[in-house]
Amino acid sequence: MEYILEVFLDDYRLAKLKGTPVEANIEAVFGGELKVVRVKVGEEVKNDILKAFETARIDSRACITDTPVAFKRALFEEIANQKSLGEEVVKAVLANIDKIKELAVKEAEYLPAPEIETE
Amino acid sequence: MELYFNRPMPHGGRLVERVLKDKKAAKKIVQACEKAGAVYDIKPTLHYKRGTPVRNVYREIMSVCYGFFSPVEGSMTSAELESVLSKRRLLSGWIFPYPILFDISKEDYQKLGVDAGDRLLLRLKGKPFAILDIEEVYEIDPAELADRTFGTPETNPEVVKEKFDDKHPGWVIYRSHQPIILAGKFTIINEPIFKPPFDRFWIPPRKCREIFDERGWRTVIAHQTRNVPHVGHEMLMKAAAFTGDVEPCHGILVNAIIGVKRRGDYPDEAILEAHDMVNKAGYIKPNRHLVSFTLWDMRYGNPLESLLHGIIRQNMGCTHHMFGRDHAAVGEYYDTFATQILWLKGIPSYGFDKPPTEVEGGLQIRPQNMREFWYCPKCKEMAYSENCGHDKEKQKLSGSLIRGLVAEGVQPPAIIMRPEVFKTIVKWWKKFDYPFVNEKYVQYKEETLEVDVPDLD
Repeated sequence: MEYILEVFLDDYRLAKLKGTPVEANIEAVFGGELKVVRVKVGEEVKNDILKAFETARIDSRACITDTPVAFKRALFEEIANQKSLGEEVVKAVLANIDKIKELAVKEAEYLPAPEIETE
Repeated sequence: MELYFNRPMPHGGRLVERVLKDKKAAKKIVQACEKAGAVYDIKPTLHYKRGTPVRNVYREIMSVCYGFFSPVEGSMTSAELESVLSKRRLLSGWIFPYPILFDISKEDYQKLGVDAGDRLLLRLKGKPFAILDIEEVYEIDPAELADRTFGTPETNPEVVKEKFDDKHPGWVIYRSHQPIILAGKFTIINEPIFKPPFDRFWIPPRKCREIFDERGWRTVIAHQTRNVPHVGHEMLMKAAAFTGDVEPCHGILVNAIIGVKRRGDYPDEAILEAHDMVNKAGYIKPNRHLVSFTLWDMRYGNPLESLLHGIIRQNMGCTHHMFGRDHAAVGEYYDTFATQILWLKGIPSYGFDKPPTEVEGGLQIRPQNMREFWYCPKCKEMAYSENCGHDKEKQKLSGSLIRGLVAEGVQPPAIIMRPEVFKTIVKWWKKFDYPFVNEKYVQYKEETLEVDVPDLD
């Protein structure tokens, strides 16, 4: 079975993918309001991710969700770096798992709130 | 044929209200208990392995004494506990899914020296809060209690898929109970005062029924929540409310469960205010939509939890209750549609050979079983799964998808989360430095609780 890692793209990320082979795989979802790329992984890599992060889980869409933000950021950087959506980008991220876990511990305490008006 | 649905009676026939308003009488009780040395400071239930708070029994005392759990009046006796575990029935025959127990450690029991027939003063935050008139003292095995509360794949094969363990927050709550049970009726003798924003949403059953009268709501559908609403939830509420009798339901009662939650859920404050924002921003008119809460440390018991939800919302006066997939569920312990199976045909191994509305001592609230909503780019709308034929094109919403966006600071598109709802999340995110429940928030909640307790003077 295939599992999916979704990486959502804001303007910064879209700009980094512009002109790369990945650009053709950018999908627009929810009425075109959200841009996303999808990395498909097999059983083994899926298990590695679930093992690495206690919070990670599979949702009803077969997507691997609830991974730390640090993991998602690293995954995007690796996609941009390798200009690929192949499973190898995930393997490259998992090779630096200890550093990501360190960041994940810090992010369980604090995540910066977006600067938007709330009143 | 009757055209109109009438408001159901409270479960058990009458609303339990065990709140003493007479301060002079309360002071006398306090003095008597203090003189007898029968005073106990309520402690949080701590995770049996990790030592983190998983429950505070004060929430159960509040829900019992204000009638949310009618006809339950207190901590269950050993006979009542056995009846609930084996048949999901109180000794009176009325259905009830969960043990409600006042548990203390053996050391505390020895120190207190109380027994059946004694009255125990319960203090909260160091102030008199409630009394427990002890009818029986007995011992439990918490591990056995936890297993029997939820069942196993062997004993409940219709819906239980996996053995419950310490990854299940509800199982952990019962596993973490102390072994000595003081059974008897609770009475609140000093009403706690809710802090903002909880004060705006505290609507006990009697008050709730009065509000329904004032608003002229004959039919009301309840929406269970432990989440901030995305547009899929909003569509669920709107569409489910089309049921009713000769016209759609007059009102939608959102009833949030407030208490210790699992990591990754949203803070209670954000849940309440975000639901309120749905009506404030006009997505559902305020005169059709009411936000409230029940104090309860969620047990995540899917079909069992749905029974408790039915009881609470019937007591609040609702005629209907919507149930979705994976109702009050966590993990893969239950069948995805376990709750809907219970309300459609019953689950014999839990004591229901028929739906809970058709058994003796059952409920009168009507279930409205719903599937799900997804975004369909072809229909160009948030479509109901049983209507939309564009299975390949569907774009499913999931709470985790939205959590992922929120965590990365990406504002979810308005088509899946209203901007006003997102702003509410960010408001509380700024307060707690975090958008979701984490260890720090759990500790903060246990220290501060939802209430302050006034002086009795």
